[in-house]
Amino acid sequence: MLQLADDVRGRMIRAVYKLLQVIGSETEPGQISLGFAFALIAGFTPLVSLHNLLLLFLILVLRVNLSAFFLGLAFFSGVAYLLDPVFHRVGLAVLTAGPLEGLWTTLYNSTLWRLEGFNNSIVMGSLIVSLLLFVPFYLVSNRLILKYREHFLAWVQKTKLVHVLNILRYGAGS
Amino acid sequence: MTGDRASSTPAAPPKSPQKPAGAGRWIRWPGVIAFAVVTVLLAAVWWLLVDGMIECAIERAGTQAVGAKVELAAADLTLLPLGLTLNGLQVTDPDEPMTNAVEVQRISFLMDGLNLLRRKVIVNEMTVDGVRFGTPRKTSGAIGKQEPGVIQMVAKTKFVLPSAQIPDVKEILAKEELRSLKLAETLRADIQAEQERWKQQLAELPNKAKFDEYRQRLDKLKSAGKGGLGGIVGGAGEATAIQKDISQDLEKITTAKKTFDSNLARIRERMDGATKAPEEDLRRLRDKYALSPQGLANMSSALIEGPLGDRIETALRWYAKLQPYLQSGGERKGNVEVVTPLRGRGVDVRFKEQAPLPDVLVRTAKVGMDLSAGLVSGTIRNITPDQPVLGAPTTFEFAGDKLTGLQSLKLSGEINRVDQASPHDAATLNVRGYRLLNLPLSTDDSLPVFVKEALTDLDLKAGLRGEALDANLAATLQSVQVTTGVKPDADAVAKAVASALSDIKSLHVKADITGTVTHYAVRLSSDLDQVLKQALGKQMQEQMGKFESKLRTAIAGKAAKPLADLRSSFGGLAGIGDDLAHRVQQAAGLTKGGGKDGGLGGLKLPF
Repeated sequence: MLQLADDVRGRMIRAVYKLLQVIGSETEPGQISLGFAFALIAGFTPLVSLHNLLLLFLILVLRVNLSAFFLGLAFFSGVAYLLDPVFHRVGLAVLTAGPLEGLWTTLYNSTLWRLEGFNNSIVMGSLIVSLLLFVPFYLVSNRLILKYREHFLAWVQKTKLVHVLNILRYGAGS
Repeated sequence: MTGDRASSTPAAPPKSPQKPAGAGRWIRWPGVIAFAVVTVLLAAVWWLLVDGMIECAIERAGTQAVGAKVELAAADLTLLPLGLTLNGLQVTDPDEPMTNAVEVQRISFLMDGLNLLRRKVIVNEMTVDGVRFGTPRKTSGAIGKQEPGVIQMVAKTKFVLPSAQIPDVKEILAKEELRSLKLAETLRADIQAEQERWKQQLAELPNKAKFDEYRQRLDKLKSAGKGGLGGIVGGAGEATAIQKDISQDLEKITTAKKTFDSNLARIRERMDGATKAPEEDLRRLRDKYALSPQGLANMSSALIEGPLGDRIETALRWYAKLQPYLQSGGERKGNVEVVTPLRGRGVDVRFKEQAPLPDVLVRTAKVGMDLSAGLVSGTIRNITPDQPVLGAPTTFEFAGDKLTGLQSLKLSGEINRVDQASPHDAATLNVRGYRLLNLPLSTDDSLPVFVKEALTDLDLKAGLRGEALDANLAATLQSVQVTTGVKPDADAVAKAVASALSDIKSLHVKADITGTVTHYAVRLSSDLDQVLKQALGKQMQEQMGKFESKLRTAIAGKAAKPLADLRSSFGGLAGIGDDLAHRVQQAAGLTKGGGKDGGLGGLKLPF
């Protein structure tokens, strides 16, 4: 039990360290934000989905910050468990909406979309929510990174927390 | 690939890497290769693990469905052509965890790849080899406490060997309630209540005093008629008034009399019933306690119902387990159907398809069953939980010829859920020349009975429409050898029954099974009744004669007083009828000539 608690604490420290490292680096803020935004989609929606294969392609081909993506994926996958009931309700409401029935019927008769499993309430709900949040999240995240670098980075670098994290990460000589 | 990765520490930001210009700022071409490598790696991992995943999925879903361990030795998925082979499937019998209900050596089928991409498992032909039933298991297949089944036979007959001893009449009458006594008591109370009611009514009806008053008025009128023309004219009006009053009273009494007569007739009928009730008590108690024809019929029914009921319950229990898989369980929501997947999260919404196909469909399954008698092969068509989508029911046909200990077997039928609102299933089984061995008919200590050997022809036709079960079974057993475990110190009846059963060479049994899947009733008829009657005829007659005589005397003794009281009460009620008849007579007399000088009949009016 104690071992498990230590393990969790170690992971959290590494995650915080990694986050500070990513947003404090000189990587283009847009690339970091895009990594987080893609993680939002991949984390919220069921991982084994056709659209996530497309997402993997985009992540690897576009200059997206992979550390940001993986950090975001771990975070949003956890949040998705809490939001599943919301996704289900949104998805079911959209799939059973009368005016959209024609569209869904057309997609339902397409092999590609059936493979995507769009007619599942959670797939549809999580995809809609994450796509709606994608652009605002990208812009807000971009802005926050810039603000952080401008106003907080120097201060953070001087804090004891970062010093401790550096020691934990690289040892006392760092 | 690595140029964008953060390579600094928060405390010491690294030097800025050289940023690519133009499209290269946002696109990394090696990513395409990375994507290809990752995709191939994912596919390779999936390929390595897929067999195990299929195996786990089948075992988990099967175990959940059956309520006992379902195990699979191996699963093998092939991509070209797309097919699956399952080896060594074992389905534990939930009622006997050390036995497999079904064991299948090999199941193989090819799938329609394009439809699989559309999440539809369409199998055109499936081969199921080496199906065996009731095979032993090395380890227990129990997965925890099972809920007891709710399937049961209504009014199952218990095997009771009739006794040769004459039962003690006093003991019987001490614990049995005589219906005749209760009937007499109830009727007596009703008669008394009726009597009270009529006494009150008689008080309100015109009586002797009233009739005397009419006579006085008539006499007075006649005297006035002798006093000249004025008296005659005045008397005419009075006479009309008296006539009207008497007619009204007569009407009242006549109506009351009719009602009374009707009530009395009903009570008389009940009196007749009460008088005969002791005889009915006698019949009831004699049938219950003596060796009667009904008792023999119960005994023969119990002998056959036991093994038959066990088999019916096993069949119905497995049928009940299949139910969730026979219908998709979709729910209409507007123009679409919302289906909760058996496993997984969320719900799937179905839309109208251009070429509708069920989610799972096995068009033809060729099944080979390795029974102890030999190979029975057959075909099952249209296995699907979405029959309304397919528009056709699941049908099955099995046949076996020249088997060991079984001349021929034919089983056919259908499971029809095309209209989910009115499901109907049917099955027909014809068995010829089945060598029945060691079938226990009764394991009761008083008389264990086994069919050691018999050659059986059996025809079963079963149907289930909604919840209503209707099945007919006809069986003929030839060359029968029955063994009984009658004890040396058993009484004459047990010995006679054992001897009669041992002499049986052939037997015809008919059974009608009706009711519902959970509560069914079996109506049996067989020539076993006749065999037992003949064997026990003498004992039965002697015992019944003595017992009946004693029981009649005892019941008559107990019922004598209540019946005498009842007759007395009835006599009192009949007296009211006499009173009413007398009053009718008196009132009628007044209209005809009941007065001193002849009543109204003697009054001569001038007009």
